[in-house]
Amino acid sequence: MASNSAEQVVRDFVARVKPEAPALELDTPLYADGVGLDSLEAAELSATLEDELGSDPFTSDEMPQTLRDILAFYAEVAVEA
Amino acid sequence: MIELLRRVAGEDPGRAAIVTHEHTIGYAELLACAERAAREIRGQGVTRFAVVDHEAAPVVALLAAAAATGAQVCLYPPAEPAEIAELLQRFDHGLVVTPRDDIHAPRRVRPEEWLDGDLDPVEDPAHPTARPHMVLTTGTTGAPRGVLHDWTRLLRSTGRIAPEPGHRWLLAYGLHQFAGLQILLHVFASGATLVAPAPRRPREGLRAIRELGVTHASATPTFWRFLLAEMRADGGPVPRLQQITLGGEAIPGPLLEDLRRTFPDARISQVYAASEFGSTGSMRDGRSGLSAEVLDAADDADVAMKIVDGELWVRSRTGMLGYYGEPPIEPDAWRPTGDLVELQGDRILFLGRSSEIINVGGVKVHPLLIEERVAAVDGVDVARVYGRANPMTGQIVALEVVPAPGADTAAIESAIRSACADLPSAARPRNIRFVETVDLAGSKIVRRSR
Repeated sequence: MASNSAEQVVRDFVARVKPEAPALELDTPLYADGVGLDSLEAAELSATLEDELGSDPFTSDEMPQTLRDILAFYAEVAVEA
Repeated sequence: MIELLRRVAGEDPGRAAIVTHEHTIGYAELLACAERAAREIRGQGVTRFAVVDHEAAPVVALLAAAAATGAQVCLYPPAEPAEIAELLQRFDHGLVVTPRDDIHAPRRVRPEEWLDGDLDPVEDPAHPTARPHMVLTTGTTGAPRGVLHDWTRLLRSTGRIAPEPGHRWLLAYGLHQFAGLQILLHVFASGATLVAPAPRRPREGLRAIRELGVTHASATPTFWRFLLAEMRADGGPVPRLQQITLGGEAIPGPLLEDLRRTFPDARISQVYAASEFGSTGSMRDGRSGLSAEVLDAADDADVAMKIVDGELWVRSRTGMLGYYGEPPIEPDAWRPTGDLVELQGDRILFLGRSSEIINVGGVKVHPLLIEERVAAVDGVDVARVYGRANPMTGQIVALEVVPAPGADTAAIESAIRSACADLPSAARPRNIRFVETVDLAGSKIVRRSR
């Protein structure tokens, strides 16, 4: 459930911030040659995820590189809960 | 303080000194209360005491009595009992004057014990040499501090205030705030009338303005923003104010414009003051910021200013003597204000408090400039910009918005993003939340990071 919500939050965010980005696949890089988020946009995504879902994958040891990483973080949070 | 009451009471004893929806008290009656309290203070050998009371008349009488006797009085905020207990301990107050039964102190006196009763012949001994007063800071950045003043210094600038018996000033500040004290000094120095609604919020302030004949009102920009929003929401008549004064926070240009449009007959002025250095006078040209002429004050001026590394410094001969419990300071020395400014042409513009700077990945962002833009967006009643902790950049710019009643928040959010699109990337709000109200301390927006 959390993963579905997380996916929607990320997709809505990318659609607003990077409307020109290529279609977002699970393994599309979030930065540089992929979606192209810069550090401030990544910071914004981090705050958005925390507000919407109560936890933030960007606070984990490894910064998420793809949508799949973000979904994995929330899947793990759901298991721990 | 008491000398101001004595002067007006001598000229026109029945003139209204303080008006509320429930009561009117004249100058002579108020002075009699103060003289009685002064007699009690002298008679009991009281040297310092705290007051917890939101009613203006007893508070003014107690202030005047303290000023007459040399006892140090400190007005507390209208806080919960636990907070009052902390303040009593922090500031070593063993005696508190209050009508509240939920406050516990080694000694508690009800205001009427000192203020009421048959009036004995007025004692009028010479003023004591030292007439201490203590004002608490709002404590937005830590525990409150006790700012030590002296009545003689505080009253120094009131000699220039012209008599204006017909003016009715709204009390929109807490009496425990330094700005509240400034209003009292101005009102009683000019022989005017204080209109003191309770509580001192924009809604009650607007009602008092409309119903109690207020002609002059001084408040923070945040208070004025909320008052304008209240007025638009209730659709009631626009009062015909003669004077609008703003102070306590940097004043956004769009707010000045809004006030000018709403109150076309009112003169609009700004005051720059703080608990520590007192008032520096007022600007009446209706423009944001201060005239750069303030930087050219003569060496013997009561107040002088200079800019040091982007921060405004003040030297005031009406300012504080130090903080309670700390070593005394050199009272007439230059002091940093904590206000960051920029000199643009003939104007000193305020960028914000040094404590409010948002550090976004090493880039320093001033919240006021962003707030000003956001507040100008249609449908935004109040905006608050602050730093929000973030694992990527340390902080990001976060924004809380109080929307106008019935406004479309999605449309507002889109308009805010457009309004901020040309700001440097670090300064654009990265987090926007719609809220019913924003954190306030003393009618000022709290912008500390979290």
